[in-house]
Amino acid sequence: MRVWPLLILALLLSIVIGAAAGHDWMSPADLLRALAGDTDLRSRLLIDWRLPRVLAAACVGALLGLGGTVFQGVFRNPLAEPYLLGSAGGAALGATVALLVPLAAPQSFVLPVLAFAGAWGATMLVIGISRVAGAVDAAGMLLAGVAVAAVLSALRSFLMLALSDETVSLQIVLSWVLGGVQTPTWPILGLLVAISIACLALTLLLAGRLDVLGLGETMAIAFGLNVNRFIAFAVLAGSVVVAAAVAFGGLVAFVGLASPHIARWLVGPLHRPLLPASALVGAIVVTLADAIARSALPPAEVPLGLVTAVAGGPFFILLLARRLRT
Amino acid sequence: MTSIAANNLSVRRNGATLLDGLSLSLGPTGSVAIIGPNGAGKSTLLKVLTGIDEPTAGMVHVGDRDLASLSNAQRANKIGYLPQYFEPHWDLSVAELVRLGADRSDRLAAGAIEAVTEKFELTHLGRRRWSTLSGGERARVLLAAVLVVDPPVLLADEPAASLDIRHRLDVIRALTTRRPDRLSVVVVHDLDLAFTFFERVVVIDRGKVVADGPAKALIDDTRIDEAFSVRFDRLKTPDGWLLRASTGP
Repeated sequence: MRVWPLLILALLLSIVIGAAAGHDWMSPADLLRALAGDTDLRSRLLIDWRLPRVLAAACVGALLGLGGTVFQGVFRNPLAEPYLLGSAGGAALGATVALLVPLAAPQSFVLPVLAFAGAWGATMLVIGISRVAGAVDAAGMLLAGVAVAAVLSALRSFLMLALSDETVSLQIVLSWVLGGVQTPTWPILGLLVAISIACLALTLLLAGRLDVLGLGETMAIAFGLNVNRFIAFAVLAGSVVVAAAVAFGGLVAFVGLASPHIARWLVGPLHRPLLPASALVGAIVVTLADAIARSALPPAEVPLGLVTAVAGGPFFILLLARRLRT
Repeated sequence: MTSIAANNLSVRRNGATLLDGLSLSLGPTGSVAIIGPNGAGKSTLLKVLTGIDEPTAGMVHVGDRDLASLSNAQRANKIGYLPQYFEPHWDLSVAELVRLGADRSDRLAAGAIEAVTEKFELTHLGRRRWSTLSGGERARVLLAAVLVVDPPVLLADEPAASLDIRHRLDVIRALTTRRPDRLSVVVVHDLDLAFTFFERVVVIDRGKVVADGPAKALIDDTRIDEAFSVRFDRLKTPDGWLLRASTGP
């Protein structure tokens, strides 16, 4: 398995590129000096601002890769994606409420909680609708997800128009909706890393059963899987992962779609290797996309979600075309 | 050894009656062919016996226990199911598919994977992916994945229907030559194969058992002709039967 060292090497390389990139480009020598404990202003900016941002981008990418893999596994559809299924839309609605409605608790606490509540609520709604409409099958859930995502997106736009009287807060929500990793403090980054590792562990618990589900519902039942209960549980786990990604990175499109695809080419479709590989691919993609977002139009930042959408949209169309041809 | 029995099973879906108070006791050993015209309820019966579909009324007994009272793992270990149609959603390799079949057992016999891989001539195909396999190879992979745990009861739904005759014979032989303490129940389309290879034949029509008995005794039963709405000429050959159908008077 030569692919693992290569993936880790690629991630390290992309982190170095991410740390070097920006309004003010740094050389590898600058990076080494800063890491060695240099107290120069540029070095301190790098350690206190840029490096946490780059590592946060890697974590958000890893979470998106995991979430996408779980959703594709549950829906047994390589075109499934948190953004098509309502769960990211629910998280975004929750976060919009947190950003626009003055609440008693501090925003750093309210935003992740409401994002999770939104992702979970939207996903339960999708499962509920497809249950009422008939069987909990993959196609029914996907269609219900598309409908729920459309309604949630409209609700979010309405809230943005109705609740923001000062243009400033609208600006905040908009930049967040377009996707963007905020620069965390080192303790918050520690929390994000811990959450990412916990999400990897949680999704790895599902790996064997996701493989069995991939044989089709009939064979999965014959092989002893309680299909309905497992789907409900896996969707719940997937929404935890998506909510974490959305809380720290806003709406970043297509990474959850593309990462599992690329990872499947590298390690095959079994979920035990696929989940960590997809996390690594997602981390690499978002770290590089964030580097582009920070350095393309200095001194302004291009929203991260725009970068991934511009790159990911054609990828999605390519996959669709290949699928239609076969 | 495990017997399986349907007790007064009924299945109704969207106003249609698929099984109509069907009772049938199978096993605990031997080979049983289930035959009947299209829409008779053969596939539904197998799915209810496996626990994939739930009956509207009636019960399934596995040994002396109610199927519904078994845990998923117990059910999957006692009853093997071969579907009529199988297409995995992900392009797994042959070895991975057999491994997934083996993983449903909590006490897999040592060397079971190697043995089943050899038995179905898959050793050289281990790394090949599903999408690159021929129909005959796919049938062997599915057999290996289901039979790797050697379930006491095997329920097979015409797993060979789409294969050419040579591969169909291979599959039917694999299903009917299991260990003598095992039970194989196979939905068979080809009546010649049903009466040549199986010990017992069950005829199902409109959700009910209309004839049931040892293959040798049942071959002359005119209820077979009635179920299929044809007249059969029964031709004895040195190693089995040929049934030629005609619809004339």
